[in-house]
Amino acid sequence: MDDGSGSGGGAPDAGGRKGPLRTGGAGGLPGARAGSGAGGDPAHVDGEAVQAARDAVHVDVPDAAHAVQAAPEADRAATPDRGVRTDRAVRTDRAPGHPPVPPPARTATSAPAPAGGDPGRPTAPHSYGTEDSVPRLPSLVPWLGLVSPLAILTCGAVLATELPGAAPLTACGPLLRADALTAWILLVVGAVATVACAATPAHLAHERPDPAAARRYHLLVHAFLAAMSVAVLAADLGVLWVAVEATTLVTAFLVGHRRTRASVEAAWKYTVICSAGIALALLGTVLIYYAARQAGVPEAAALDWTTLAARADRLDPDVTRLAVGLVVLGFGAKAGLAPLHAWLPDAHSQAPAPVSALMSGVLLSVAFAGLLRYKTIADAALGPGYTRGLLTGCALLTLAVAAALLLGQRDYKRMLAYSSMEHMSLIALGAAVGTPLALSAALLHMAGHGLAKAVAFCASGHVQRLLGTTRIGRVRGLLARAPALGTVFGLAVVALLGLPPFSLFASELGIVRAAFAAGTGGYAVAALVLALLAFAALAARTARMLLGPPPSPPSGDRAEAPVRLGPAAVLPPVCGLLACALLGVTAGPLTRLLTAAGDLLGGR
Amino acid sequence: MNDSVFTQLLDLACGAFLLAAVAVLWLRQLTSIVRAFAFQGVALAAVAALLGLREGRGELLAVAAGVGLLRAGALPHLMRRVLAASRPGDGGGRYEEDVSEARETRPLVNVAASLLSAALLTFLAYAVARPLVALDPTPATRALPVALAVVLIGFFTLVTRRRALAQVVGFLLLDNGITATAFLAASGVPLIVELGVSFDVLLAVLVLQILTTRMRAAFGGTGIDDLRELRDR
Amino acid sequence: MNPAGTAVALAAGLAAAGAAAGALLPGRARVPAVGLCTAGLGTAGLAAGTAALDGVRWSARLPGLLPLAGAHLAVDALSGLFMAVAGAVVLAVAVYGIGYAAGRGPYGVASRGVQSALPVFALTLVLVPAAASVSTFLLLWEAMALTSLVLVLAEQRGRPAVREAGVWYAVMTQLGLVLLLAGLALFAAGAGGETFTALRAGAPALSPAARGTVFVLVAAAFASKAGMVPLHPWLPRAHPEAPSNVSALMSAAMVNLGAYGIVRVAFDLLGGGPRWGWLLVLGTGALSAVHGILQAAMASDLKRLLAHSTSENLGLVLVGVGAAGLFASAGHPLPAALALAAAFLHVVNHAVFKALLFCAAGSVARATGLRDLDRMGGLRARMPATAGFFAVAALGAVALPPGNGFISEWLLLQSLIEGLTVPGVSTAVVLPLAVAVIALSAGLSAAVFVKALGVGFFARPRSERAAAAGESPPGMLLGMGLLGLGCTGLALVPGMLGDGLSRAVAVAAPGGGPPLTGDSLELRLEHLATSLSPLWAAAALAAGLLAALALVRVTARRGRRSHVKLWDCGGGAPTARMSYTATSFAEPLQRVFDDVLAPEQGVDVTPVRASTYLVERVSFRRSVPDRIERRLYQPLIGAVDRLGEAARRLAPGSAHRYLGYGFCGLVALLLTLAASR
Repeated sequence: MDDGSGSGGGAPDAGGRKGPLRTGGAGGLPGARAGSGAGGDPAHVDGEAVQAARDAVHVDVPDAAHAVQAAPEADRAATPDRGVRTDRAVRTDRAPGHPPVPPPARTATSAPAPAGGDPGRPTAPHSYGTEDSVPRLPSLVPWLGLVSPLAILTCGAVLATELPGAAPLTACGPLLRADALTAWILLVVGAVATVACAATPAHLAHERPDPAAARRYHLLVHAFLAAMSVAVLAADLGVLWVAVEATTLVTAFLVGHRRTRASVEAAWKYTVICSAGIALALLGTVLIYYAARQAGVPEAAALDWTTLAARADRLDPDVTRLAVGLVVLGFGAKAGLAPLHAWLPDAHSQAPAPVSALMSGVLLSVAFAGLLRYKTIADAALGPGYTRGLLTGCALLTLAVAAALLLGQRDYKRMLAYSSMEHMSLIALGAAVGTPLALSAALLHMAGHGLAKAVAFCASGHVQRLLGTTRIGRVRGLLARAPALGTVFGLAVVALLGLPPFSLFASELGIVRAAFAAGTGGYAVAALVLALLAFAALAARTARMLLGPPPSPPSGDRAEAPVRLGPAAVLPPVCGLLACALLGVTAGPLTRLLTAAGDLLGGR
Repeated sequence: MNDSVFTQLLDLACGAFLLAAVAVLWLRQLTSIVRAFAFQGVALAAVAALLGLREGRGELLAVAAGVGLLRAGALPHLMRRVLAASRPGDGGGRYEEDVSEARETRPLVNVAASLLSAALLTFLAYAVARPLVALDPTPATRALPVALAVVLIGFFTLVTRRRALAQVVGFLLLDNGITATAFLAASGVPLIVELGVSFDVLLAVLVLQILTTRMRAAFGGTGIDDLRELRDR
Repeated sequence: MNPAGTAVALAAGLAAAGAAAGALLPGRARVPAVGLCTAGLGTAGLAAGTAALDGVRWSARLPGLLPLAGAHLAVDALSGLFMAVAGAVVLAVAVYGIGYAAGRGPYGVASRGVQSALPVFALTLVLVPAAASVSTFLLLWEAMALTSLVLVLAEQRGRPAVREAGVWYAVMTQLGLVLLLAGLALFAAGAGGETFTALRAGAPALSPAARGTVFVLVAAAFASKAGMVPLHPWLPRAHPEAPSNVSALMSAAMVNLGAYGIVRVAFDLLGGGPRWGWLLVLGTGALSAVHGILQAAMASDLKRLLAHSTSENLGLVLVGVGAAGLFASAGHPLPAALALAAAFLHVVNHAVFKALLFCAAGSVARATGLRDLDRMGGLRARMPATAGFFAVAALGAVALPPGNGFISEWLLLQSLIEGLTVPGVSTAVVLPLAVAVIALSAGLSAAVFVKALGVGFFARPRSERAAAAGESPPGMLLGMGLLGLGCTGLALVPGMLGDGLSRAVAVAAPGGGPPLTGDSLELRLEHLATSLSPLWAAAALAAGLLAALALVRVTARRGRRSHVKLWDCGGGAPTARMSYTATSFAEPLQRVFDDVLAPEQGVDVTPVRASTYLVERVSFRRSVPDRIERRLYQPLIGAVDRLGEAARRLAPGSAHRYLGYGFCGLVALLLTLAASR
């Protein structure tokens, strides 16, 4: 089984290129290769040397790396018709006949600044500038990507100050509308996107410098954020659907960014499953439109949320029941709820880490917020029992699947993805209860989960880059090897486990209290037991990864110094964790907004 | 046109619509499947056009023309391009064509069972659509079960086909069914939504086409069963 | 200014300062700074608790803290007792900890993470009794769990067993939280509010089924924290693997909160539980007491022995609490108050002597690097002060006069015997059994601590590391000295606590006058018209000893000492290896309790290659497993693992399967909707 460790850029173009080049991903900790044995990815070592050579950009490349770099080319040239088996051939044929590659440089600084090699190592220094060029200042261009998330965050903050207590704002005629829920979701989107985009330069700095791919990546990320914002601000359910469908298409290429076999597979499954799901949601929307038209709503306003929410009691109950069921299935597919949940682990494990962070934090939240809009209409038309039953069923099923699959999990990125499913099911449970406290708690949980999961994915991206593997069993002693990274990852998992001071504790507490107060205590207990199983699995695996002494290097070298990541890699996750902790200690000025959003969704 | 002619023509168009969906389930050559899908697009445009003529709405006729162009013209064309790309290049002579890519092999559910499932799904669609018809009994809404049946058959096709292109056709069947539901139930959705949906479908097919190309490059074929590397088992 | 409120605020401020110091200060300044802040925090907690025991009440609301709820704090006599205990233990252990952690490397107990978590843990220990709403209580409870987990994992780099201990601890704490959350949320839902005042007011409105469910859930959760059977496996794993100052805090302050929780929720908030519930609590306490002391008798790891002894002592506390509840639910508040007072006094005594025991064990571990009693020995000559402190604490632990444990166990027995006057079949059957259990555990604990003291400290050193031991630095001795002073004070003048304890009991079990009063000379039990004067007893004992010594001195014949070779059965001079080890000391006990303990042994014989009749090597292994863990936890863990393996078939990688799930979901939804019309 592939350990999913192909990272770095792939073949530069689609077309007939056979076999992706496995570059990157191995950050020069030879101890990681100790236990790899026969299947032992010498291609990673090669890939790392090749990438290091490419990072250096200049001719000053050691001979061994040259020989290694020539070899994959030779392999590829010699076997043009072996098609996609090349990469496997590279892996297994590598060992004999090639000189042993010296331990690759630990290019552990993140910003594209001069990377310091280890003193006393035989290869050339991998510095960005050679002796005769001026040392470059770190470029500001990668940081320009922060402009749009910060803009979203600012808009959310402005709306948050204006809106609680005031009437909802509209713009662009009947198309855009902002109420308390919109403001909260915009804040969540802005915060998570800021963390993810601030962590992007550190990730991209270690990929192959392919300007076209990087341009496409940034374009897609910002298109994704734009589509998410339109989905949140939509006044019309049809526009909401179009925006959510657009995000599927945009993220398909983001998931498949790396051009490896596994990422193509993940992109295909993601696109097909989400498109099928969202098509069901379209059917639901069409049926709501039909019911609204039959209830006498004029054509121009038949999909407008405010009008529908006001006239929901006149909608035909049977048609609405069918429509809402389809919408729950459809938007639930995008939000990671069973039964159309299976794209989530594949997509999250194959996408680049900032994209996984965005998907887990932003996409799931916005899809669920769309579902909440339909829920208000359904509750007004059918009474709260129907959606409560439907959402509780989906939530408990998803939680059971996530907990069961966490118990035997071997890949830490998939582990984080199943943890996302677990938290989305808790949010769904809060939404199912339907009281204002429960809905406020669910919204708070969206915020906390988005931040914590973004930090966790960004940290896991660095772990994958440093160790070259996503198998839990091959990561040992992370706290000893890379203290800052290990601490950040550990704290993110602590936040996801629902421990204070992070806000997921307060929101889970709120959901359980509200569930008992509304009389659905049995479901809450079932959810708590399943969440305990997930807790045990997650805690055991994270402990195995983080704790313990650093593994000794295979050839009896002196013990390695701990890897230090630069501030550009550590600062964004730390800020995310601080924000999550602050939110958990006090909601402060956001309390009014949160209660207003909860009342909006559940108080009517 | 008077009621009975309209009803008969509408029922004819819906019947052709459903028949095309069942044909997709039955055929195995991918080129034939694309042709059946194109036929369904024509039937869908006919349904929309009939509704437009009946209600005397010009924009519905325009939408019908657009739908026909998209679903009977542009989308099948895109899919034929994907099929053409899968055929290995001509070696300068008339070599034996490799047909393994061009047809469904070893269906997941055999043809008899598929047709039986299609029948069962049609029954289910009739059962489910009863409240929809009861809400507004017109000749158009009485044909709603057909649209829902096509939705279910499209999903079934999506689930059980082994070639990527056949999965794309299944998804498009699903979407055709939903569009037909929109037309039959409420004479279409607001224009902006219709435009958005069409654009999204077009983009979806483009995305799937690009992914199919990448899949062929990475896996050497477009069999869905090859996509088994990401798993927990 | 309310002294309790000021003290609490001061404690919070010092905790923040300590955490910042631990995270930011470099190497050598870190440990003393954190230690001083924690000691100050402990003093503040002690002051707040003492003020509350004197009758001061305080409450505060912080609506901005904790989103969606709000923080509520309130201090009364009951919480004051536990705050005082926690504060005193924190103070002494913090002083001890400065010396303990000094000079260690950058990893382990002197690292940033551990030192910044220590003041926060101490703060939660002091503040949990002051929580006055469900959300605040759970927040502080979980914060305590998290910080103690970080502290337990302090030495994870050096030893792989620490990781496993940490995971067990984390999962079982979370299990306790789940039970507690369910119980308290049910309570809050039934009572219509989440602050303790609202719960108290709304408790009569709960239905009997809800009341019973709340009682069982909450009691199970708090019993797990107190290390009661069957939710105890985390205790003998976490306490030994943690650094000794952390073990002292956990054993002496954290487990008490389990008892606090039961008293607060079941007595105060619920207003009394069902009779069968209290019988359950009593039975669990008794069972845990016996189980704990048996496991301690078999243990040869010093810290594991002490951890099991904690379990035993908390079991005795719960016997007292359960008996008090039983009497109260039968409508007899006077015996109930006495039993509760005995339980509280035992909490105080146990806290002090257990902290001292763990500190002494930590001294030994630091000096020799050993935890295994079988390899120690001869430490009395090399570490006289530590040995003395261990002896004082052990005297308290064996519950014999003039130790401090004697007084609380005597009180407990008195209350149980007096409770025989309460009518009812259950009391008539259960109480004599409880008395028997207490007697059994007292006897076994004597054996256990004689083993620990004798085998560990006396005789000759049985390994080189024990021979190379040196006394601990003065900082550690100061901390141990404070605790020793506490032990002696509690042994000689327990009457000073009488009024405070009575006020604490009055919060939980009102009705009837104060059960205990006293002054520096004697301790009076009001309802029984009995009194005990430990000071006089100790003075009499000391006088008797002196008289005996004087007699011996006077009447001993001044003869010449003659040096004669002892008959050694021809074997030569005895070596240190031949002396009693802990295992051999415990072997008769193990034979007596063979059916209960079910020890396992295995013999491996390796013959010489050339001939199977000649033996090259024989190895013998014996272990006494925890049968409850073996029978209950291992099958459960095995079942969960198998579930995980089976569940992996849910994600086989086939896109058909994944889409099929969705299709089946859709068809199921449609069928349900079509059928339900």
